[in-house]
Amino acid sequence: MFTKKKSVLLFLLPGLCMLLVFYIVPFVGGIGYSLTDGSYRNEFVGLQNYRDLWQNPMFRLGLTNTMQLSFICAPLLWVLSFILAAGLMNVKPFGGFFRSTALMPYLMPSSAMLLVWLVLFDYGGPVNRALVALGMERVMWLESGALRVPIVLMFLWKNLGFCLIIFLSALQSIPEPLYEYAHLEGAGFLYQTFRITLPLITPSAFLVFVMAWINAFRIFKEVYFIAGAYPDASVYTLQHYMNNMYGKLNYQLVTTAAYTFGLIVFAIFAVLFFMQRRAARGLS
Amino acid sequence: MEKTSPRARHLLSRMVLSLLALVILLPVVMTAIYSFFSPAEIKAFMGTRGSYDASAFMQIKLAPSMFSLSQYYNILIEDMTILRYFVNSAMYAAAILLGQALLIPMMAYALSRFRFPGRDAIFFVVIMLMLLPFQVTMVPNVLTLRTLGLLDTAWAVILPMTVAPFYVFLLRQYMVSLPGDMLEAAQIDGAGTWRCFVHVVLPVCRPVLGAAVALSFADCWNLVEQPLTYLTTRTDLYPLSVVFNQLTEKSTGVEFAGAALYTLPALCIYLYFQADILEGVQLTELK
Repeated sequence: MFTKKKSVLLFLLPGLCMLLVFYIVPFVGGIGYSLTDGSYRNEFVGLQNYRDLWQNPMFRLGLTNTMQLSFICAPLLWVLSFILAAGLMNVKPFGGFFRSTALMPYLMPSSAMLLVWLVLFDYGGPVNRALVALGMERVMWLESGALRVPIVLMFLWKNLGFCLIIFLSALQSIPEPLYEYAHLEGAGFLYQTFRITLPLITPSAFLVFVMAWINAFRIFKEVYFIAGAYPDASVYTLQHYMNNMYGKLNYQLVTTAAYTFGLIVFAIFAVLFFMQRRAARGLS
Repeated sequence: MEKTSPRARHLLSRMVLSLLALVILLPVVMTAIYSFFSPAEIKAFMGTRGSYDASAFMQIKLAPSMFSLSQYYNILIEDMTILRYFVNSAMYAAAILLGQALLIPMMAYALSRFRFPGRDAIFFVVIMLMLLPFQVTMVPNVLTLRTLGLLDTAWAVILPMTVAPFYVFLLRQYMVSLPGDMLEAAQIDGAGTWRCFVHVVLPVCRPVLGAAVALSFADCWNLVEQPLTYLTTRTDLYPLSVVFNQLTEKSTGVEFAGAALYTLPALCIYLYFQADILEGVQLTELK
């Protein structure tokens, strides 16, 4: 660790300047926008924008959808990748191949992959074919509210591998004798999972959850590709709202919406962080 | 769990995993196969999409009726539209990666191996920015870009991405975990902070640097929100990731070759940096 070195400025300043110019300073400065009315006199209106925004049905729709999608996607991804990682621990020689296969979708461009998804989920496509073969009704995946299902599946497809490898490395760091001991004591599978595995990998599990959630908030691309800027009401995300307002040059609403959403995001992560702290303290 | 023999359990896990690997690979493999169909066949095939005739299904095609390279011939030589946007994409990726290479490792080094007042505050801000989704950070970005008059130029997409907070975080976490003895030894040998950085820290960080390059490239190759918001009037500057679906909305018969072409660099980057990603990401924890 270097202390009292002037050269730190050389390393720090270029990046810090960019952060200040593009993120920190305008972030603080933008608060002003959300508190004025945007007319040419630009009067101070207090929290009026926030109140208006909260009354706006499109904003609430976008916010609700983004929240719902992230509340579905993030926990689902977390649980699935944990189960898969636990399963992979048993399969030594094959694990490497699967691990690298699972990671691949994370790097694939969504726009190019979409063609295949469009074919798969078409009204006459293979997925519906399988449904009919199983004796169920066909679903209009791409045109109705059912679009959420392909969106969630695409999200899982893309992000599973990344979460999986973080879990795997955490699981591999748990000493084997711990399980043998628990086994001798007569601890069952569930007991082992909840009392040994999860507490020991809390930091990684927390990281996976946060990453999953960050990415779930960003769900927009696939909806935009399939359904455009004004999709079905059940998949109209917050990003759609922001883009459409921005297109109308309504800076007041855009900034207000951004800060409102930012506050909500911080609140969620603060709660998560607090829970992780408590879990970590409970362990020691 | 006690009842089944380990061997049977092994087999079951293997079967489930093989099936899953197949599903995961499916979109990529299908894109590759379909890119060798002839344009006429693809046009006919994609034309059967979107029919709501409840009695008919689309055909399931697993191989071309005739192997053909004419899709590739078409997009690479006859009609350069896709190629032009592909070049845009490549330009964005190159510029963003270059900017990140200049800024982010140095910043991570400063935040991990130095002690100075305000360091933890800066790192806290980086984490906060990392947690914020694009819907929120686009506002400060737009305000600055508008003030500087950079909206509707390629810089609008490039500059904010060059300090992507996630990669500062990723590199910083890796550098913090490096053993201090290594740098102390270098210091005793008379190396300054810069030489420690270039000759000790950077080489040791090879895996995480590789991981960052690969993940960041994937981000650049997948740009959608940024061009859509910052380049509203300059659609000619869009990267292929944004326009690809507009170009192929009405099947031209060559879309799968376009998709394959666009996937290829990502696939190469992935194969090249695969080991680095696995190693670099594994050691990261949120502390």
